[in-house]
Amino acid sequence: MKITIQLRGSLTKYFQGEKVRSVEVPDDCTAEEALKTVGIDWTAIRNFGFVAVNSRRVMIYDRLKEGDELKAYPKISGG
Amino acid sequence: MKRLKFAKSKCIGCQLCAQACSAMHEGEYIPSKARINIESYYDKGGELKYKDSFCILCGICKKQCPVGAITLEEHIVVDHTICIGCGVCERACPKKVIRIRDEKSYICDTCDGDPACVKICPQNALTFE
Amino acid sequence: MTMLGYQNKVLRVDLTKKGATTEPLRMDWAEKYIGSKGLAIKYLYEELKPGIDPLSPDNKLLLMTGPMTGTPIPCSGKLSISAKSPATGTINDCSIGGHSALQIKYAGYDAIIFDGALKEPGYLLIEDGNVQFKDASELWGKGSHEAEATLAEKYGHDYSILSIGPAGENLVTMACINSDYYRQAGRGGIGAVMGSKKLKAIVIKGTGGVKIPNIVENTKKITEILREDTLQEDNTFIYDYGTTAFLEACSDGGILPSKNFSDATDENWTKYNGDVLLEKRVGKRGCGSCGLGCGNFLKFENATVEGPEYESIAVAGPNAGIDDPEAIVKFNQIADDMGLDTISAGDTINFAMEMTEKGVHDFGIRFGDKVKYLEYLVLMAKREGVGADLALGVKKLTEKYGGEDYALHVKGLEYPQYEPRGSWGMSLAYAVSDRGACHMRAYAPNEEVFAASIPPYTAEGKGEMVYNLGVFNAVKFSLCICDFWATLSYERMAELMTLITGREWTEQEMKEVGARVLNIARAFNQREGFDRKDDTIPKRLVNEALQSGAAAGQKIPQEAFEDMLDQYYAVLGWDKNGMIPDDMICKL
Repeated sequence: MKITIQLRGSLTKYFQGEKVRSVEVPDDCTAEEALKTVGIDWTAIRNFGFVAVNSRRVMIYDRLKEGDELKAYPKISGG
Repeated sequence: MKRLKFAKSKCIGCQLCAQACSAMHEGEYIPSKARINIESYYDKGGELKYKDSFCILCGICKKQCPVGAITLEEHIVVDHTICIGCGVCERACPKKVIRIRDEKSYICDTCDGDPACVKICPQNALTFE
Repeated sequence: MTMLGYQNKVLRVDLTKKGATTEPLRMDWAEKYIGSKGLAIKYLYEELKPGIDPLSPDNKLLLMTGPMTGTPIPCSGKLSISAKSPATGTINDCSIGGHSALQIKYAGYDAIIFDGALKEPGYLLIEDGNVQFKDASELWGKGSHEAEATLAEKYGHDYSILSIGPAGENLVTMACINSDYYRQAGRGGIGAVMGSKKLKAIVIKGTGGVKIPNIVENTKKITEILREDTLQEDNTFIYDYGTTAFLEACSDGGILPSKNFSDATDENWTKYNGDVLLEKRVGKRGCGSCGLGCGNFLKFENATVEGPEYESIAVAGPNAGIDDPEAIVKFNQIADDMGLDTISAGDTINFAMEMTEKGVHDFGIRFGDKVKYLEYLVLMAKREGVGADLALGVKKLTEKYGGEDYALHVKGLEYPQYEPRGSWGMSLAYAVSDRGACHMRAYAPNEEVFAASIPPYTAEGKGEMVYNLGVFNAVKFSLCICDFWATLSYERMAELMTLITGREWTEQEMKEVGARVLNIARAFNQREGFDRKDDTIPKRLVNEALQSGAAAGQKIPQEAFEDMLDQYYAVLGWDKNGMIPDDMICKL
């Protein structure tokens, strides 16, 4: 299925500086699996933050649908 | 000949330059004795302004020194055995960066061609080129 | 062994007698609490009698630096300003950016302690060892910005100026202390303590220095750490975006509060987000010794500010039902000038909006009224008209008029802009923070919302989580190093402490200092009569579910909150009532 992946902050290096890409991923895959298809293994990134689908935070193992927008953030701290 | 250059749009007013300079020359972090003095401030809260006192190697100090204590090749050198602390150089310096202390003149020596201020400037506002 | 980095000198100013003396720093306390936050709380614990009125001459105002202040350790330029809080009655340590911390250290002092009170408005001029009491009758009544401009004109832009606005002068318990025009020691009414001492400003210039071991070698080492650690992208986003970077994450995270915390999303957030605000950026500035430069100097047609920070944007934006970026920036500018904490002032007006809309009490303002929002700020600072009521803050307003169901504060300090129904651990963090609801003690969202696999909507494990976050921040703010060095670690802190002081510090010792600081702050509050009954969760969070966003449907059951409290107290070794046992207190 087709989805878009948006990256924020230091994660944009995985898209060579771009922020967004349209990608083809397996049907009904999890956010974790979708990121793997573009070479992002969140468990190996020390400062990996969280993911949101259609601008709502989800757990990394939640499943995606056709046309979803998956956003991945690094951790941010402060106030 | 390389000189210090300052891009004020990159300066964040951290004053690490003065700290590094004084560390290398005075054995303390003591910006009042540094040979570089760059600050930013809000004028009446409405405008961001910069005070950028750094040696531009113009050579005016050398020309004005009445006793020939100052030489300039790759950078300024003040011979303290000749310097009488008269203060002519301090008054003539267009960047207002020369200081007379204990009757001697203190002028930036570019850390012998490897300026510490440039190395520490976190936003690369200071360069040596 | 004697630790370097310190000046080993405290300036004690007796405002009643108009005298100033110096004394050695308590290095035995510095060994245990290091400096800034921790050392300030220790001094106040030892020197303040329990039960004093925070607005009386008995309270003390402490300006406390750390051993790293005045050195090129990245992000070490903050100053701790501490006192007993008139808003809550608890200990209150604030942290102000800018350059005053360095001036104090270069003037030769680790700390300045203000005792007593002036009889007439005055300001203090400190030039190295020369301390002068000056008349401030011409400045009293003026905004903080005009006062600072006048003093800068008189003494020079290289002098650091700390000042209060009309809010502090009028003892408003949400008054702040300003420096560099747009930096604050913000919360807990610290500005009212300064105002109660009739101290309009402190003007400081230091021409001395700070010594560390092997300074040439260590400066090179520090430069390396700055370049390789501090200036990596995970930290430098704060230069590019400032704290506006939090808006999208909080909005997606379902924790961006709207309309007095009645919900946690705002579909209009793109009208006032970083992209919009930063289009008006005309300059960048940071604190002394900062490598990251978080300050954004913005100029709209009718509003100028260095900022606004996430808290100020969220409180005067979605939480007020306002989406006009210029109005938000103007709110920030006026609050700074009047000397008001944006968080508490904004929260109070937002509460008043809901009270008005619900017909409980008519404060004459409804959600979205961006014009009155700005007028009310000034009225609060001057205690005029409706401002006389609003200056009381949320807690006292509920005591007077009701509305407890949607009054968000802990111990009288109004809620920061992170919605705990979307981040359950944050309700615990707010409840147990040493100065009332504060987001800087344990920043839970980073661990449970901005986290891929940690569930935010559960009490499980949150006691330990909030403890770990609290210990880390407590020691970090005792060095002190700013929050925005996000990749800082215990290992790095120990390395920097060893480098600066010449004494070997270990990671384990850093953790012990952090835990010790949490405990001494608690001991101070315990002595003032605080215990479990005061570690509260606002009723709204328990009774009302969020309507929209990632956390839609969430509310926090009282039992879950009590469970988190139990967990937290257990980790710290406190009893079920949140009290520290005597045998722990005597070790502090």
